[in-house]
Amino acid sequence: MTEQPGTPAAPPPPTAAAPTTAAATAVVGGDIGGGAGAAASLWRDAWGELRRRPTFWISMTIMLVMSAMAAFPGLFTGRGANDRCDVREAKRAPASWNPFAGGDHPFGTDAHGCDYWAQVVHGTRAPIVIGFSVTAISLLIAVTLGSLAGHYGGRLDALISRITDVFFGLPLLLGALVVLTAFPAHGVGAVVLALGLFWWTSMTRLMRGQVIAVRDADYVQAARMLGAGDVRIMVRHILPNAIAPVFVFATLNVGVVIGSEATLDFLGVGLQYPSVSWGLQLREAQDIFVDQPYLLAYPAIFLTATVLSFLLLGDAVRDALDPRLR
Amino acid sequence: MTELARRTRWAAGLAALALTAAACSGDGDKDDGDAKAKTFTVANQEPGHLAPGAANDSYGIRVVNALFDRLTRLDKSGMVVNEDAESITSTDQKTWTIKVKPGRTFHNGEPVTAQSYVDAWNAAAYGPNAWDNNYYFGNIAGYDALNPEDPDGDGPQDAPKPKTDKMSGLKVLDRQTFTVKLTDPFSQFPLTLAFTGFAPMPKAATKDLKAFDQRPIGNGPFMISGSGWQHNKQITTQKFAGYRGSRPAHADGLVFKTYASRDAAYTDLLANRVDILETIPPAKVREARRLLGNRFVTTPGGTMDYLEFPLYDKRFQNRDLRYAISRSINRQAIVDAVFNGAFRPTGTIVAPIVPGYRPNACGLICMYDSRPAKKFFEKAGGFSGTLELWFSNADPSYEQWMTDVANQLKQNLGIKNIRFRKVPQADYLSNLTDHKATGPYRANWVMDYPSAENYLTPRCGPSNRQGYDGKECMALIRKGNRAKSIAESVRYYQRAETVLLKDLPVIPLWNWQEQGGYSKNIGNVNFDSYEAGGGVHYDQVTVK
Amino acid sequence: MVPVLLGTTLFIYVLVFALPGDPIRALAGEKPLPDSVYRALREHYHLDDPLLVQYGRYLFGVLFRGDFGETFNGQSVGQLIADSWTVTAQLAATAWIFELVVGMSLGVWAGLRRGGFADAAVLGGTTVAIAIPSFVLAYSAQLVFGLKLGWFPTAGTDDGWPMSYLLPGMVVAAAELGYVARLTRTSLVENMRADYVRTAVAKGLPRRRVVVRHTLRNSLIPVVTYLGTQIGYFMAGSIIVEGIFNLPGVGHELWLALQIKEGPTIVGIVTFLVLIYLFANLVVDLLYGVLDPRIRYD
Repeated sequence: MTEQPGTPAAPPPPTAAAPTTAAATAVVGGDIGGGAGAAASLWRDAWGELRRRPTFWISMTIMLVMSAMAAFPGLFTGRGANDRCDVREAKRAPASWNPFAGGDHPFGTDAHGCDYWAQVVHGTRAPIVIGFSVTAISLLIAVTLGSLAGHYGGRLDALISRITDVFFGLPLLLGALVVLTAFPAHGVGAVVLALGLFWWTSMTRLMRGQVIAVRDADYVQAARMLGAGDVRIMVRHILPNAIAPVFVFATLNVGVVIGSEATLDFLGVGLQYPSVSWGLQLREAQDIFVDQPYLLAYPAIFLTATVLSFLLLGDAVRDALDPRLR
Repeated sequence: MTELARRTRWAAGLAALALTAAACSGDGDKDDGDAKAKTFTVANQEPGHLAPGAANDSYGIRVVNALFDRLTRLDKSGMVVNEDAESITSTDQKTWTIKVKPGRTFHNGEPVTAQSYVDAWNAAAYGPNAWDNNYYFGNIAGYDALNPEDPDGDGPQDAPKPKTDKMSGLKVLDRQTFTVKLTDPFSQFPLTLAFTGFAPMPKAATKDLKAFDQRPIGNGPFMISGSGWQHNKQITTQKFAGYRGSRPAHADGLVFKTYASRDAAYTDLLANRVDILETIPPAKVREARRLLGNRFVTTPGGTMDYLEFPLYDKRFQNRDLRYAISRSINRQAIVDAVFNGAFRPTGTIVAPIVPGYRPNACGLICMYDSRPAKKFFEKAGGFSGTLELWFSNADPSYEQWMTDVANQLKQNLGIKNIRFRKVPQADYLSNLTDHKATGPYRANWVMDYPSAENYLTPRCGPSNRQGYDGKECMALIRKGNRAKSIAESVRYYQRAETVLLKDLPVIPLWNWQEQGGYSKNIGNVNFDSYEAGGGVHYDQVTVK
Repeated sequence: MVPVLLGTTLFIYVLVFALPGDPIRALAGEKPLPDSVYRALREHYHLDDPLLVQYGRYLFGVLFRGDFGETFNGQSVGQLIADSWTVTAQLAATAWIFELVVGMSLGVWAGLRRGGFADAAVLGGTTVAIAIPSFVLAYSAQLVFGLKLGWFPTAGTDDGWPMSYLLPGMVVAAAELGYVARLTRTSLVENMRADYVRTAVAKGLPRRRVVVRHTLRNSLIPVVTYLGTQIGYFMAGSIIVEGIFNLPGVGHELWLALQIKEGPTIVGIVTFLVLIYLFANLVVDLLYGVLDPRIRYD
C-alpha cells in the first residue's frame, strides 16, 4: 500500500498496551521536512520560536525536576528504595494533604509500610530511563531501516515494509511477554529490550515516508548529478531534512513509552520487586484506592505530569518547526 | 485489573481458584423471560469442565455441586453423612460395600443405581478420557490397567491403549449395591466420596462424554435448563422437580454468571446486580464490611498458604536456616496489611476446620521474633548468594505478601540480595514438581475432604515437591489410614504433623477465611465451610 | 497482504511456542496429573507435534475446514472469536461515535477561536486526558459514575448496547479525543488561510457561511481518514478497559489466553486483529483517493 508522507500514519498496533505511538503521528501533522531549505536555519528559527512559548518552559521545568529525582534521589529523600519498611505501619494516610506540612511520612506509607514519598521519588528512575532508552533504540532502528527502504526503494523497500507490517500487526503485549519471560528477574534492562524490540514500527514508517519525500527534491538530484555517493547524499542531504518530524515524534514517544511501561507494570508483566516504579505503585493501589485514595493519587500525578511534559514539549517543537502554523 | 482480571479457563491450580470469587447476578427473572420465576444468580468464573469427573477448579465444582448429589455429604461440623448412599461399610478399610438408596432419579428420569456410580468412576479413571480428576481414583484396585505407562517416557513410542476401560476393583452386586476394593486400607474413604468428582453418571451420558461435559445430566437439586452453558456468559439452571434427596431447592432457578474477575463481580454485588459472591477479594474486605453490613459474611476456610523449601537445593538443607526464616516472618502483620486481618495466621499444616486440628502445633518456631530468628540464622552460617522467592502470577496478592516477606527477611536477617521469580501460572506448578525452584516458594492447599490426611500426604509422600525425606511421617499416615475409626486415625495423623513441623520443610503461614456477600434480593443465605466449591447452600436460598 | 498474513501467523505461532510453561500440566492445579491423562491431553491438543507440524495443521484447519481450533474447555475458538468480537464491536462503535462527535466538535470550537481561552482549554484538557494512564481513568470513572452516582452500570454487558458500553466507551475514547480534536483544529486553521476562503470572505460572504460551506468540508478530509484508521484500532479491543468493566471482548480474551498459553486462541485472535488492521489500512488508502483526487496511485 502507498505511504503518504504527512498524513496520519497507520493505526496503532492492535491491543497495544497503551496510548500508542502511531496516534502521536497524527499530532505531528503536516509535512515538515518536505523540500525544506537549509536545515540549519530551520532549527535556529525553531529555537527562537520555542523560547517564546510558556508550554515549552513548563514542560522543561517538570522534566528537569523529574530528571533530578531520577538521577539523584538522595537529594529528595533520606531513604533508599524499599528501605526501612515496617508492615505494621502499612497504609497510614498522610497527616495532611499538604506534603510540606511536616511529619515523618509526607505522603503517608504504602501497603508494605514503606515511606510513600521515598518510594515515589525512587519510582522516577525506572520510567524515565525506560522512556529514553526505548525511544533511542527505536530511533536507531527507524532511521536505519527507514532510510534504507526510502532511499533504495524496490525490493529492499518491499522487504523492510513487509517486515514492518508483520511487527506492526502484532500486539505489543504478546511480544513483550515472550521477551520478558527470558529474563526472570524483570529488571529495567529486560523491559527496555522487550519494548524496544516491538516499538520501532511507526517511527520506521514515518522515516521512510520522509525520505521518499525528500529524495527526489531538486537539491538532492543536483548533488547526485555532481557525483556524490549514496552515503554522502544520505547523511548530508536527506537525513537532515527528513529527520525533523521523526525527532518530534520521538519526543512525544518518550511520554508514550513511559505510559506503556506503567501499563505493563499494572498488568503484572513489567518490572518486579526490588525495582520501584510508579506503575508498580499504581498496580498495588488499584485494590485499595477506595479506602486509601492517596496511594493512587500520588504516583498517578507524578506519572501524568511526566507524560504530559513530553507531550507538551513535542507539541511545542512541532509547532515551532512548522512555519505554516505560526 | 487486578490483574487483568483473569478468567482461568481451567484450573491453574485449585489454589488460585479458591481465591476467585463467584458473584451473583441480580435479577434472574430477566434471563428466563418468565416474570414469575424466582431465580437468583451466583457470580462465577468460566469453568474448565462441568462433568464431575473432569471439573477440578472451584468454578466448575461449584456448579457440579448444584447439579449432582454424591453418595455422602458433609454436615455442619464436617462429619460425613450419607446422601445417596443407604450404607457404606467395611471390615478391613480395604473393601467397601456401598448400598445406593432406591427411588432416586437423574434429571432425565433415569434411576440412580449402583451402575451409575461405577460407570462414572470408570469414565473418570480411564486415562484416554483425560479427565482432570483421574488421580482421585488411583487407590482403587485396577486403576493401573486404565492408565498404562508409556514404555519410553517422552520417547517416540506411544503408550499402549488400555486393554480395559473398567476397574477390576468395582463390582456391581445387584441393582443398588456395589463393592469397591482399594489397593491399601483407607479409613477416610467415605469422606472422599463427598467430593464432587465421585458423583454418578446416567447411562444417557456414557455414549457422548463430551456432550455430557458441556451439558451434564445430574441428580441434584438443580438441573441445567434453557441454553445451559453459554461460555463466558452464564450457566442457567432450574429447580429439579423430581428431586428426592435431602437438599431440595427453595428457589425456582439459579444462574451462574460468568465474570472476568472477582473484582468485577464484587463491583456488581455492591450495585445489587448480582446476588451471591462467595469470595470477596481480600483487599476489599474492609470496604465490603462497611458497605454490605450484615450481608457480608466470613466463614472459616480449609485453604492454607505455606512457604515450602526446595530441599534438593543444598543451601536450604540446613534446618536452622528454615527455622530462622520461619521466625522472621510476622504473619499477623502481613495478614493485617494484605488481607485486612481477614485471614488467620497459623502454626499448623492442617486447617482449623479439620478434625484433629491442634492450635499452633508448630510451637515457637512458627511465631515471629526477630532476635531468635537472627540467632538461628547465625547458627546456620548465614545465607550466601541471591535469595529467590517463587510465586505465580495468578493473583496479585501473592506478590504483595511476598514483598512483605522479602522486606522482613531483609530487615530481620540482613539478607541483602532478594529477588522475585514471578512465574506464569501455566508454568508454575510444573517448575515445582520438576524440582526447578531455586528458593522458597509459595505453596497452597485447598482441602478436598476434611481429613488431616489430605493435607499431610502431599507434603510427606514419596512424590512431595520439596524433595523431603518423609519416611517417618508417611509411616504414621499409613497407620492412620489403616485405623478402625476416624478418631483413632486422627491420633496418628497428629503425630505425623508433629514430625513434619519439626523438620519444617514447609512453613505454615496462614489459613484462609472465605469472605462472601449477598444482595438485598435474597434471603436464607447460609455459608458453610464444608460446602463444595463455594460456601453457600444454594438449595436453601430464597428469593424475595 | 497474503505474505504478511502468513508471516504474521507463523511469527505468532513461534512466539506462542516460545512462551514458557506447559499448559497441560497447569491444568491439574495443585493435584497430581497422572501420566496417562497428561499424554492424552497433549495428544488431543496436538502439543506433542513439532512446531512446523502444529502450524501446518493449524493452517490447514483454518483454510480448508474453517476450524480455528479448540480452547482448553472445549469451546471452538471460531465461536469464541465471534462472541468476543460482537462485544468489542459494540465497544468500538461507542468509543468511535464518542470520539467523532466530541472530538470534532472540540476541534472546530478550538479552531474557530484560535489563540483564545477555548483553544487553550481544549488543547490542554485533551492532552491531559492522553497523559493519564487509562487504568486510572477507568477505575475512577467506574467508581464515580458507576458506583457512587449510579448513572451507568458498573460492569458487564447485561444492559446491552448502548447502556453497558457508554462508560467504557468514553474511557477508551478519552485517550484518543485529543488527537481528533487537534487534527480537526489544525486542518481547520490551515484551511481558513487558504486562498479560496480569502476570496469568499473578500466577496463579502458571511463568516458562518464560509466556515460551514467551504472550510469545514475541506478540513475534515484528514480527520475522516484518521477516524477510519481509528476503527481498526478500537476493534482491537482494550485489554485494560475490557478487563476492568468485565466485557468479554477480544482484547480481554487474548489476555486470558496469554496467561494460560492457549495457543489456538492466541493465534486466532491475533491473526484476526492483523486482518482487521490490514483491511482498515486498505479502506483508508481508498478513502484518500475518493476524498482527495490529487492523490495518485503508483
